[in-house]
Amino acid sequence: MEIDRVDGRTANQLRPLACSRNILNRAHGSASWSQGDTKVLAAVYGPKVGTKKNENPEKACIEVIWKPKTGQIGKPEKEYEMIVKRTLQSICVLTINPNTTTSVIVQVVNDDGSLLPCAINAACAALVDAGIPLKHLAVAICCCLADSRYVLLDPTKLEEQKTKAFVYLVFPNLTLSVISEGSLKVEGEPVEQAIITSVTQGAMSVDDYLHCLERGRAASAKMSAFLRRSLPPQIPSDSSKAG
Amino acid sequence: MEPRLANTWRLTVNEKKFIETALQSDLRIDGRRPFEYRNISIKFSSVDGSAEVQLGQTHVMGFVTAQLVQPYKDRPNEGTLSMFTEFSPMADPSFEPGRPGEAAVELGRVIDRGLRESRAVDMESLCVISGKLVWAVRVDLHILDNGGNLIDAANIAALAALLTFRRPECSLGGEDGQEVIVHPPEVREPLPLIIHHLPIAVTFAFFSNETSVVIDPTHSEEAVMGGRMTATLNANNDVCAIQKAGGEGVLQSVIMQCLRIAGQRAYDITTKIKNAVESYNTERALRKVKRHSSSVSLDVSGADVDVVKNQNQSFDQKGVSERSKLIPGKSIADQSTDIESETKSSRQGQTSRIDGDAKNFIGGPSSWDPYTGGVNSDFLKASLASRGTSTPSRKEKDSRGENISREAMPVEPPEDNILASSPIEVAKTPLRTNGEKTLKDAVKPKNRRKKKASSAGGS
Repeated sequence: MEIDRVDGRTANQLRPLACSRNILNRAHGSASWSQGDTKVLAAVYGPKVGTKKNENPEKACIEVIWKPKTGQIGKPEKEYEMIVKRTLQSICVLTINPNTTTSVIVQVVNDDGSLLPCAINAACAALVDAGIPLKHLAVAICCCLADSRYVLLDPTKLEEQKTKAFVYLVFPNLTLSVISEGSLKVEGEPVEQAIITSVTQGAMSVDDYLHCLERGRAASAKMSAFLRRSLPPQIPSDSSKAG
Repeated sequence: MEPRLANTWRLTVNEKKFIETALQSDLRIDGRRPFEYRNISIKFSSVDGSAEVQLGQTHVMGFVTAQLVQPYKDRPNEGTLSMFTEFSPMADPSFEPGRPGEAAVELGRVIDRGLRESRAVDMESLCVISGKLVWAVRVDLHILDNGGNLIDAANIAALAALLTFRRPECSLGGEDGQEVIVHPPEVREPLPLIIHHLPIAVTFAFFSNETSVVIDPTHSEEAVMGGRMTATLNANNDVCAIQKAGGEGVLQSVIMQCLRIAGQRAYDITTKIKNAVESYNTERALRKVKRHSSSVSLDVSGADVDVVKNQNQSFDQKGVSERSKLIPGKSIADQSTDIESETKSSRQGQTSRIDGDAKNFIGGPSSWDPYTGGVNSDFLKASLASRGTSTPSRKEKDSRGENISREAMPVEPPEDNILASSPIEVAKTPLRTNGEKTLKDAVKPKNRRKKKASSAGGS
C-alpha cells in the first residue's frame, strides 16, 4: 500500500534540515534549526548567578523561555517550556556550576509541524554554541501514525492535524568511540538505545509505539550525523560575548 | 525571579569618556560619521507577512496576522491595527520575560502612532460588513538582538511585514447577502493591504556635549547618551510623529537640523524597503505560477535565493535534491540526464561539479547545510535502485534505505503542505503541457516505487 504524503516524501524521509550557529551578537550562544518550513531560533545566556526559589541550589539550573510566533503565552507554551527544560537538564552537566542559572530562550519563527523536536534540536545546538558543558547531545524527532497504521517521520502541520496519534522522541547522541566495542553500556545495554524524552499525543497501541521508537531511533542516527557535521569547532570572530 | 544585579551591564567610565571624547571630533566608535546609518538588510520568508530586519547588530522580526472581529462601536466601518512588541530575553540579558517594561511599551506606542495617526494603513478597506465584521490586523514585533536603536529597526520590520502581508479575500453570500465566506488562499488570491505611505522612524541621540548629535545610536552609544529623539517622517517630508521624552535639553536649531536630516534618511530607507518588497513580490508571483516548484524555503543564511531559473527544474522533482536547483540556467532535460548519467557512473562518490556549484553558491553558515555533501548522488542512487527490479527486504531497506533516504531530503514546496491534493492535481495539468513530460514521467514512477518499497517495509 502506498503512502501518499502531500509533499512527496516517503514514510521514512525527513524534511531538509538546516542548522546555523552564532547568529545573534548579544547572546552567549545562539542557533537556528529548521526542518522543512518549521524554523526555530534558540539563544542561550548563562550561567548567571542564583537559582529560582524552588530549585536546588546545589546544582545548576536551566531556565527555558518559549516565545510563540504570535499570540499570548498560555498553557501550551508553559508545557513546552517544561518539556524542553527537563530534556536539557538530562544532557547538561549540572554539577559543574552549582547555584547558577542558564537561560535558554526559544523563539518560534515558523511552525509547520514537528515544532517541539525542532526546538529541542535548536536548543541543543545553542548550548553547544555557548560552550555549556554537556554530557552528550540530543536529537529529537517526531513520528506520527498515519490512518493506515504506518509510521510517518517528521510530519508537516497538516499531517499532524490529520493523524490520530503522534509522538515526540528525543534520543541521546553520544560521542563516537574509536574502539568498536567502546560504546557505553549501562546495565548491559548500549546507551545509544536510551530514550531521553517521549511525549505522545493521541491513543496508539503498544506495538505502534514500539514501531515509532524503532523508526525514530534509526532516524536519529542520521540526524546525529548531520548534527556532528554542522557543529564543527568555529573560530569565533568576536570572542568576547560577555556583556 | 528577583532582579539579578550581577547581570546588569554597565559601561565603564573609561568607555564612556572615550565615546564622548571621540564624538567631539565627530568620530564614532564603529567608524561611522555622525549622520550615517548602519547597514539595513530586509529579508522575507515564504510565509506572507513576515519580515526579518537587521540594522547593524540589531535584529528584529515582524509578523502580521489578521482576524475577523467585531469593530469598535465608534468606528463601525474601519478595521483595527494593533501592535504587540516583545522584548525577547534573547535580545539582551537585562530583558526580563513577562510584562513589557517601559522601553517596550514606548517602542510599541511610537510605532503605533506613526502608523495609525498618519493613516498609513487604510482601515476602511478592511471593513467587511459595516458594524458587524471587520479585519483586525495584528503586528507582532520580536526583538531578537539588541544592538541599539530598536525603534527604527522595529519600525522597518513592521512596515516590511505589512507591505508583504496578504489577507484572505472574502465575499458576501448566503440568502440575505449577510453571510461572509472567507476564501482560502488556494481558491482566491489573497489581497495585500492598502498602504498609503511609509512612515519611517529616525532616531537621534544627544550627548552632554551640546553639539554632539548622532543618528542611529548603537548599544554603547545609547548607554552614554543624554537624551534621544525619534522623528517619524515619510518620503514626502511629512512629519508623522516626534517623540522626545525627557533627557537632555536641546537647542531648537539642533532639532530643526535633525528633522531635515531625518527627511533625507527617510527617503533612503523608503527606497530600500520598496526595493526589497518588490523583489519579494516578483519572487512570490513566480512561485505562484509554478505552484509545486521547489521550496523557496530558504536556507539558513536567509538569503533570498533567486529561484526563478530553478523553478523549471525543480518542478515535481521532489526526488531530486536541493543542490540541483542551484545550478542555474540549465534546461530540465539536460540536467536530469546529466545527473542520472553522473550517478550511473559513480554511485558512491559525490559529484564534484554539483558540489562545487553548491559550495560556490552558498557561503557562510549554510555551508553547514547537509546538502553541500553528497545528498544528490545518494538519493538518486536510491531512486535508481528502486527503479530497478529488486525490492529490498525490510531489514535491508531499513539499514540501507534509511541511510539513503534520510540523507536525501527532498525539496518540497511550501505550498504543497498547504494545498489540498485536488488543487495540486489541477495545477499540475497546465504544467504538464509545458513540455516537461519527460522529466515528470521519469521522476514520478521512481517516487511511487520507492514509497511502495518503504511502505511494504513499513508494515
